Amino acid sequence: MAGKSQQTPRLRQRQVPAAATNVEYDRLRQDDHVADIFHQNPNTRHPIEKLLETRKASMIVVAVLTALAFALRFYKINQPDQVVFDEVHFGKFAAYYISREYYFDVHPPFAKLLFGLAGWFVGFDGKFLFENIGDSYIENHVPYVGMRALPAILGSLTIPVVYAIMKESGYSTAISAFSAAIILFDNAHIAQSRLILLDATFIFFMALTMYSYVRFQKLRYWAFSTEWWTWLTLTGVFMACVWGSKVNGVLTVAAVGIAVLIDLWDILDVRKDGHTMEHFWRHFTARAIGFILVPFIIYLSFFYVHFAVLIKSGPGDNFMSPAFQETLAGNEMLLNSQEIKYYDTVTIRHKDTKVFLHSHIERYPLKYEDGRISSQGQQVTGYGHNDTNNNWQIIPTKALPETGRGRFVRHGDLIQLLHINTQSHLLTHDVASPLMPTNQEFTTHPKDDRTRYNDTLFYININDGHDGEVIKSKAGHFRLIHAPTKVALWTHTKQLPDWAFKQQEINGNKAANDKTTTWFVEDVIATEGEDFANRTQAEAKQPKHMNFFKKFGELQLLMLQHNAGLTASHPYASGPINWPFLLSGISFWTESDTQKQIYLIGNVVGWWTCIIALSIYVGILGADLLARRRGLDPIPDPVRNRLWNSAGFFTLFWGVHYAPFFLMSRQLFIHHYLPSHLASAMVAGAVLSFILSETVNYPISVWGPTTRARPKLYADLGIKAPIIVAGFSVALGVVMLYFAPLTYGTPGLTGEQVNARRLLSTWTLHFAAKVTAEVAL
Amino acid sequence: MSESKGVRRRNPRGAVSSPSVLDAAVDPKPDDGGKGIDDKPLQGAGKGLAGITPANFLLQNLDHVAGLVYTLLSFWTRFYKIGHSEHVVWDEAHFGKFASHYLKREFYFDVHPPLGKMLVALAGYLAGYDGSFEFKSGEVYTEDVPFTAMRMILATFGVAMVPVGWYTAIELGMSRWACHLVALMVLLDVGWLCISRFILLDSMLLFFIVFTVFCLTKFNNKQSRPFSIGWWYWLTLTGLGIGCVTSVKMVGMFVTALVGLYTVEDLWEKFGDLKMPVREQIKHWTARVVCLIILPFLVFMASFKIHFIILNESGPGDSQMSSLFQANLQGNDFAQNPLEIAYGSRITVKNMGLGGGLLHSHPHVYPGGSGQQQITCYHHKDSNNEWEILTRWDEPPYDPEGPIRFVHNNDIVRLAHIMTTRNLHSHLVPGPITKLNHEVSCYGNTTIGDIHDYWQVEVVDDLVRGSRANVDRVHALTTRLRFRHQVLGCYLRADSTMLPQWGWKQAEVTCTPQNNPNDPHTYWNVESHWNDRLPPADIKHLKTSFLRDFWHLNVAMMNSNNALIPDPDKEDILASTPFDWPFLHLGLRMCGWGDTQTKYYLMGNPIVWWGGAMSLIVGLGTFGVYLLRMQRKYFVMNDHDWNHFLYVGKVAFIGWCLHYVPFIIMGRVTYVHHYLPTLYFAVLMFAHMLDHFVFSSRQLAPLVKQITFGICASAVIGTFWWFKGVAFGIDGPIGEHKGLAWRKTWNIYNL
Repeated sequence: MAGKSQQTPRLRQRQVPAAATNVEYDRLRQDDHVADIFHQNPNTRHPIEKLLETRKASMIVVAVLTALAFALRFYKINQPDQVVFDEVHFGKFAAYYISREYYFDVHPPFAKLLFGLAGWFVGFDGKFLFENIGDSYIENHVPYVGMRALPAILGSLTIPVVYAIMKESGYSTAISAFSAAIILFDNAHIAQSRLILLDATFIFFMALTMYSYVRFQKLRYWAFSTEWWTWLTLTGVFMACVWGSKVNGVLTVAAVGIAVLIDLWDILDVRKDGHTMEHFWRHFTARAIGFILVPFIIYLSFFYVHFAVLIKSGPGDNFMSPAFQETLAGNEMLLNSQEIKYYDTVTIRHKDTKVFLHSHIERYPLKYEDGRISSQGQQVTGYGHNDTNNNWQIIPTKALPETGRGRFVRHGDLIQLLHINTQSHLLTHDVASPLMPTNQEFTTHPKDDRTRYNDTLFYININDGHDGEVIKSKAGHFRLIHAPTKVALWTHTKQLPDWAFKQQEINGNKAANDKTTTWFVEDVIATEGEDFANRTQAEAKQPKHMNFFKKFGELQLLMLQHNAGLTASHPYASGPINWPFLLSGISFWTESDTQKQIYLIGNVVGWWTCIIALSIYVGILGADLLARRRGLDPIPDPVRNRLWNSAGFFTLFWGVHYAPFFLMSRQLFIHHYLPSHLASAMVAGAVLSFILSETVNYPISVWGPTTRARPKLYADLGIKAPIIVAGFSVALGVVMLYFAPLTYGTPGLTGEQVNARRLLSTWTLHFAAKVTAEVAL
Repeated sequence: MSESKGVRRRNPRGAVSSPSVLDAAVDPKPDDGGKGIDDKPLQGAGKGLAGITPANFLLQNLDHVAGLVYTLLSFWTRFYKIGHSEHVVWDEAHFGKFASHYLKREFYFDVHPPLGKMLVALAGYLAGYDGSFEFKSGEVYTEDVPFTAMRMILATFGVAMVPVGWYTAIELGMSRWACHLVALMVLLDVGWLCISRFILLDSMLLFFIVFTVFCLTKFNNKQSRPFSIGWWYWLTLTGLGIGCVTSVKMVGMFVTALVGLYTVEDLWEKFGDLKMPVREQIKHWTARVVCLIILPFLVFMASFKIHFIILNESGPGDSQMSSLFQANLQGNDFAQNPLEIAYGSRITVKNMGLGGGLLHSHPHVYPGGSGQQQITCYHHKDSNNEWEILTRWDEPPYDPEGPIRFVHNNDIVRLAHIMTTRNLHSHLVPGPITKLNHEVSCYGNTTIGDIHDYWQVEVVDDLVRGSRANVDRVHALTTRLRFRHQVLGCYLRADSTMLPQWGWKQAEVTCTPQNNPNDPHTYWNVESHWNDRLPPADIKHLKTSFLRDFWHLNVAMMNSNNALIPDPDKEDILASTPFDWPFLHLGLRMCGWGDTQTKYYLMGNPIVWWGGAMSLIVGLGTFGVYLLRMQRKYFVMNDHDWNHFLYVGKVAFIGWCLHYVPFIIMGRVTYVHHYLPTLYFAVLMFAHMLDHFVFSSRQLAPLVKQITFGICASAVIGTFWWFKGVAFGIDGPIGEHKGLAWRKTWNIYNL
């Protein structure tokens, strides 16, 4: 707030900070007085703790943790030798990269490219398509172990990164090991890292992003030094990798963004260091480059590689626009597309539901079931199969030249459609359609009767077409807009009753620009005047070129749309509120003969510790706020600063990767919480450190050339910290091993064993023994 | 907000510079005339009366004169041609019907709380309406329906909105020019005008929202004299306002949240005031809890109590309530029901969970799963709710001539759906929505069936006879049952999960493998019971607890509100999304569009809507810029100005967000009239921004201010005049009224 300034309103002046008037301001300076608060004598420090804090001990600890991580993630990685859960998707995508066929997916390509690379490296030929959960890898000769090794390696490497984040943030070895152990022994992280899934990549790079940002922040007194720039850029690079792995990566970008904004706000504060605006703008520009420009370029480059690899026609073709499809080798549009001329007889197909525009001699019944009246005209329906009743001739409404390019049908032309078999024109009018009172009925009108000529006129508009563009079969997606009433020819999946042979209803949609009003010419059946065979003789067509940025933009938009559209219900989908408490898991894979199963569930001890720690953290800060409001000061300032800045950073990551899910209506799974869980493990470490001792390692940041030297302090946790952490790790390990059969999918469990592992009634494990009495019959 | 104890006051015209001694004493809403925000001492009220000339008096009360003029103008706009359309327009069809139910005292069900509808009924009662009209949409009113009088009584709320808006602006410490703009915009927005002129709840809702904000600003200005009479008076009125507004529509929760946030900030300030004695702290907290939580809640409950008292006869909404509640309504046939359930009885079965419905089946089948006939929970009486209790397949079939066999605890029965003769059935197929439960379907017929049709009747207890030990035979209404599937061991369960359109938005019924004996969603009771062989038993009327009924009704309201989600298969031409509102992207046709009809189009005054939306963006930007400048230690305002800027900005901006953002988040169908309460805060922001940059500017010359005011006011008045037809009613073919579709998306004209 404006503070206690005294100046007159119209004066704009900068004030010299008046000492001792502003209590808040004073707090910022109190780091100076750390030594007054803590009186430490290093000689009384416990020898074991002293030993642990040495660099050597730290290296040993991290080596042990990493070795354990590799062991736990690689143990029986060939089990099961079948396709598990979403390997169906991500294995398949890797196969497409290898066979270079175009596919479409909602996630950006980086992590999938890595899988493709791994598959190629271990000699996967891309022929196996991971069609169903439970398909055997052995029978299909898939080098799946090599592909699974990639996430397992990244998942294992996440452990030392977590340790390093904690260590760099100023926590003691024991505390850092504590946070790392929560991830190390976590069943959910292990299960997720042993399969061909994107999450391990995502989490690994997220951890790296956090690590580089911490390193970057520690160099704040060395701004614009080479090292500073290095960590700044690295943060951006890793952030791009997260963003390129999964759509959720945007959340990581947002989390870093918030942290940067808070940091910039601090730099802007003239009371703190009295920096000039030029100084601020330099900082601002540096961050704009490191956190926006660099990541964006890298993100783009992932897509560049993606498009460069996928050059053949594949299952993703149909998602894309015709122009895009023509860039793919072997695409049907590319091969069979031809320009349409007037008087061509064509079949017209609806893009979404794939039915043909169809008409037959039968008429609409006079009265529908709900009492509404029809025009009793000839029926126009959507029909899924080839039939001569699908044939329509395109009739011009203007004079045509005898020959030449003037005879082609172009964007925006006013046309009539003649139904060949009944020799009648397509027509729509202000009569309600059979199923939808809001939409117009389509029917036909005899060719010779010109009384209703106006109602048979339609504009043919290519989607995003430009003037003079010629309609092409297959490639040209167009809308048919009725000239007098402006409705669009439309169909939807509802079937008409028996009087129309359960064919699909066709009607006129007033929302003419709706996505679903798109049609295309499937085939040219006949043409007038010239030799039909000559025209279809297509030269060997080369894939066309399309601007990379256009491709990128189109794909981004489609990804967003499809991501929002993933709303179908799934038996193992769960709401975000269930996740931190581990209320439900996901059944990844089962094998009935051996009663084996993989069930994604976290380590209960670890997860519940994390959520308790978060609650304590909020409680501490809340209580501190209230106390300070009443003039009490329960926590020394350096400790509070550590709680806000360091634990706050972790909590920010936790919150930003968690809260948005509450607003999403797409299907959600517990593995969406894993990034948040990683952050919460670090919060747990910070909270444990606070509980054990009110001392912190200080200073953490690297002193700059102009920084005044201040006394060094250390976090004095005593012998209790290593003991607690060791004990806790043992507990974690025991629980992890207890649930290991569910994580590794081996060995099989008897019904009773399954029941014993079902700690919560909401865990839907398979092969549970029936507790209820059997049928009395 | 609370930091503005000494709000600056400005008086650009100087006309009312001397504090009036009189009005504080005479007027119940003491005017502070932009000067005396704090309570003025009531010094000798009658002292100066004799020496005051009429001209002086007028000058001293100029604010009230203006208020009066606006009220009169408002009477004209709201009442002009109010009875012109003799048709039932738009939602009059709903709210008129509800009024009829009150007048006929029939129990009905609706998603909105009852106060607003009771006031509609009161209007009808005062106007002499007897409740006999059906209020079918678009129908012409018959002679005996005093619809004009009813519309006028309800429009009075809309009239009152204008002066309250005027005084709110004054209380917010805006300059006179800005106050006039607020009043003009409230007066001349065609959206508010249009919605206030029909038999709808919106005029009341808008009035109570505006009133609550007014009380809050009044209270804020009394903050310097805590616990004075005026302080208590406005705190209590704020609480009453909250109570009323939430009892009209749930949208009132948003303005409640605004008051809540204000109070939280206020108390946070007080909490940090170390000089304040603890006793006073406690007094402050208690006063807020009593006036802003307990009092509104009592008002809310009281409106339901009156609702229950008035509606004491059986009506269309019965099935939403518990069986016991229905038994207490007059005019239903429960009294003729036999008491003890026997084989061969025809029954309906009611779920006892909050908001539970009747077990229902219909000839439609599940689109997925087994593809068998659907089982749902339905909240209306219907012959498809009826079931017959039959014996197991391996037992001799039910013999209508044989001895009567009663149903006991743990009996295994078959439930046959009477209309389709199929049997209640469950099997190892995942439920349609709740995939982890088993699907329940209707299968077979009178001769075809299997052991999956067997259900074991487990008595939980009986509301009259007590625990299970005392229950021998199952009684209608009072015995609480659970149905256990004999083969799967699962329990028949229904909660508020809705089936999609293929299940007609009825509640899903599944069989849950979780045996949770405390889950009321697995409890059922027999509601209606018919058996010619048993004597009717006049079941003793059991008193139901008001609190339980209150809670039950609220849960049911919540459930049906949540069911109002957009149906992707069906395009609702009237619906709009929140993003369509601030810039008036869409309007809404309120009635048929025929050439001979009087047409009403719900839209807003474009200047007011666009200006409001723009000012919110400008306001946020200004705030951001000021913050940045402060961080660099540039100050353009003194403390008072800054606090005032912040206080008004917070009321307007946070108020707007609270009334807007929830509509984006919630999944239900939204219409353009949902923005009308929100608009009020946009209007305040519009005036605040103009005030901040122009009217209260110290640099600008008075002439510039006058010209600005002139431009704004004439734009508002001009657009109102241009569009007045959409609220007053457009006669004749719409094509003859040109120039109304300022945006291409407004469907005023037929294409």
